[in-house]
Amino acid sequence: MNKKILNLKFTEDQIDALREFMNVSIGAATASLANLLDAFGTMHIPEIEICNSSELAGKIESTIDLKSMYYTTKQLFTGKFGGECMFVISEDSAKNLGRHLYNVTIPSGDEIKDAVMELSNILTSTIVSRLTQELNVQVQFFVPSSQFIDANSIIHDEDVVEYSKIIIISTILDFQDQQIKGNIYILTKDEAIESLKILIDKKIEEIYG
Amino acid sequence: MKVLIVDDSKIARMGVIKSLKEIQPEAELFQATNGLEAVELFKKEKPDVVFLDLTMPVMDGYEALKKIIEIDKEAQVIVVSADIQSEAKHRVLVAGAKNMYPKPINKEIMTHIFEQDLLL
Repeated sequence: MNKKILNLKFTEDQIDALREFMNVSIGAATASLANLLDAFGTMHIPEIEICNSSELAGKIESTIDLKSMYYTTKQLFTGKFGGECMFVISEDSAKNLGRHLYNVTIPSGDEIKDAVMELSNILTSTIVSRLTQELNVQVQFFVPSSQFIDANSIIHDEDVVEYSKIIIISTILDFQDQQIKGNIYILTKDEAIESLKILIDKKIEEIYG
Repeated sequence: MKVLIVDDSKIARMGVIKSLKEIQPEAELFQATNGLEAVELFKKEKPDVVFLDLTMPVMDGYEALKKIIEIDKEAQVIVVSADIQSEAKHRVLVAGAKNMYPKPINKEIMTHIFEQDLLL
């Protein structure tokens, strides 16, 4: 088999640039959510990490409470920069979101699920759209799916088998002192990561001369 | 002219510097990676202009802006942030910033800043 060997490691400058892209994307998402919730959102610095897809389950386990329940949404996008966006939010954060969005003390299960889908949709579309806009490529989004599951069931080996790298974006959405914490995982293939690195290098070259 | 650029991201600082150099090639540049460093550099160097990010570790831009204005109420601070909420802009203008722009800024915006926002 004649397979092209790709260098998929990111340098410190490339990670800095990616974090800045994500920061701008999350700024746009925060503004959309602030408008939706009619509340000011305090932005927090997103944490960016890139790991191998086989490490995803371990990464998720290390950042969540294994005794809690979680809402997860998954959305596929295809094109030159194709992959899957996964959003994970704890039950408590999802309830906070539901309270804000519906302005009720105790949101119903459907209201919480709807709020999570809306949040996930805004985050996914702004982040992926920002990247694809910079990459100058088009992607097609598929209908997202949502689950309410225990921490141990969030990811299975078969979920990541077709992906190579995961971009993990951890951020806190903080609206009127009610913290809504969520993690976003962008599951990508080698070709998408390579395209992303080329883009980042181009941007770095433009700016640093 | 002394200019202080404050952002935790190196590429974001370089982006501001690139646009700035096209408008003010002789500017003497200082860089800070968080609000605390910015306040200390502001006291030491007394820059004519400050470009300030909001979301930063150690001390955020809101706090840094407040402290800079306490030091010099005429300080020329331009906020450059990923936060594009109108409320965020309102807050920084009330706190004493001359204006606020969404990231990234380019040569045209930088020209506008020097022609319209700053009193130099």
